[in-house]
Amino acid sequence: MTLVEGYFHGAHAGAGGLANGRAPTRGKVVPGTVPEQDAADERPLIELRQISKTFGAVKALQDLEVSIRPGELVTVVGPSGCGKSTLFNILAGLEEPDPGNILRLKGVSSTASDLLGKVSFMPQRDLLLPWRNVIDNAILALEVEGMPRAEARRLAMDMLPEFGLAGFEAQYPNQLSGGMRQRVALMRTFLFKRDLMLLDEPFGALDALTRTMMQRWLLDVWQKHKRTVLFITHDVDEAIFLGDRVLVMTARPGRIKLEQAVDLPRPRKADIVTSPEFIALKKTLLEAIEEESMKSFQVAGR
Amino acid sequence: MTASISSDSARQISRGIGGALLVAVVWELCARGLDLPAYVLPAISSILAGLANDAGSLLAAARFTATESLAGYAIGCLAGMAAAVLVTMVPSARSVVVPLATAINSVPVVAYSPLVLLWFGIGMASKVVMVAIAVSFTIFLSTIAGLDRVDRKSVDLLRSFGAGRLAVLWRLRLPTALPLIIAGMRVSTVRSVIVAIVTEMLGAYGGLGWVIYQAVLQVDFVKVWAAIIVASAISLAFFGAISFVERRYVFWR
Repeated sequence: MTLVEGYFHGAHAGAGGLANGRAPTRGKVVPGTVPEQDAADERPLIELRQISKTFGAVKALQDLEVSIRPGELVTVVGPSGCGKSTLFNILAGLEEPDPGNILRLKGVSSTASDLLGKVSFMPQRDLLLPWRNVIDNAILALEVEGMPRAEARRLAMDMLPEFGLAGFEAQYPNQLSGGMRQRVALMRTFLFKRDLMLLDEPFGALDALTRTMMQRWLLDVWQKHKRTVLFITHDVDEAIFLGDRVLVMTARPGRIKLEQAVDLPRPRKADIVTSPEFIALKKTLLEAIEEESMKSFQVAGR
Repeated sequence: MTASISSDSARQISRGIGGALLVAVVWELCARGLDLPAYVLPAISSILAGLANDAGSLLAAARFTATESLAGYAIGCLAGMAAAVLVTMVPSARSVVVPLATAINSVPVVAYSPLVLLWFGIGMASKVVMVAIAVSFTIFLSTIAGLDRVDRKSVDLLRSFGAGRLAVLWRLRLPTALPLIIAGMRVSTVRSVIVAIVTEMLGAYGGLGWVIYQAVLQVDFVKVWAAIIVASAISLAFFGAISFVERRYVFWR
């Protein structure tokens, strides 16, 4: 096997799997090996063990293990069709994993449907409602929760400048650029205040320049609001730039192949992507992803 | 922007009026020049004169027909939408009801007129029922189609916010369906006037269809045409009103 074997994390959290000569991973430890005194702080917000999901003959996920601590920004990368979206749908409460799974929210064992309304979820497309203007799209989740419209609008109005949407509250989605639509969708997600935020390739459809701006902006907003975020992307640079940890998924059936801590200092500047530490991380991650992409390619080509 | 839109519609309206005037002039010239008998084509001028002559009775008939059409239309729209929502909420009912509705809707509704006249008498009630039947099937089918257009991902998003079925229906499915519902309503305006008039011809105490039928029996073709012109005016006004509502409330397409 290749170099990658050393980083193999797989289904066994106890194996550690974080050893990495190039980028030391001090301070970030796999849950389960957490020292006793940190247990209160480091208790995972959400913990998934033995998560499998089968659709007919297709096994999308197999024995997936993830745990996310409060305040973390965890990014997930993987080859296309590796079950990233299935993982998100489970975390959003939209799909039940196969029986025999362990799913704990703040230490309480739950079913996926218990998570409905407890996780703020932003899908790949902005899914703004064309008949609602910016402000009314942003408050959609609050309205569903039963907050009076006037109060929800007031909350949202206060947030507009931070999302670069001041003065645009009365515009309709078809009058906005792609980046602005995405910010409205993000604002809708932020206004739905939940412990865990799931972002599914939120910047995937944006041009490179806008994407870089949005990433920096997201980090600012995240640091100010102290949210726990799970962020799916297929862009390795994005995964490293944003994440405290990067999870690499295997080809289908999806598992966590590699769990890579990112110890780059925050706040991160745009030029960090050219630093040796960043490049080293990127090399590690690309190797892992490459191997998985080849696997799914071979399976598909057989 | 608003200015250019209104000048656009002003141009459209003036073009429409110009076209109508042109048709009227050609009509007048043909009828006079070829000396056509009234049962083939009376001159526009004599029709307008007839309109003025019979203004009182025509207006009463128009009110009669408009009342039937509007009442049937309102009942039909509400019933069609309500049925569509119910069927969408109960998927098992759907596979039975929708093919049945499509089958019933594919027969010209006026085929049921004699039966409805028998059941509801020759007063206004039978016309209201006929119009309601005609309109409700159209609205039912277009509402179903509209409700089906909803994006599964959007439903999932609302569910992830904790929305139940009713919240999804109210905040997502109905607004998504609105463009198709209103398009169905626009088409139904004309249909409702037609059905009311045809049913009146089969048996009534009043209304434009009844006037037309009586005038034909009396060989008064000028009156027939006058009634036809009043009927088109009602249809056009009704169609225009719903089109206005559509442009106003379905602005996002």
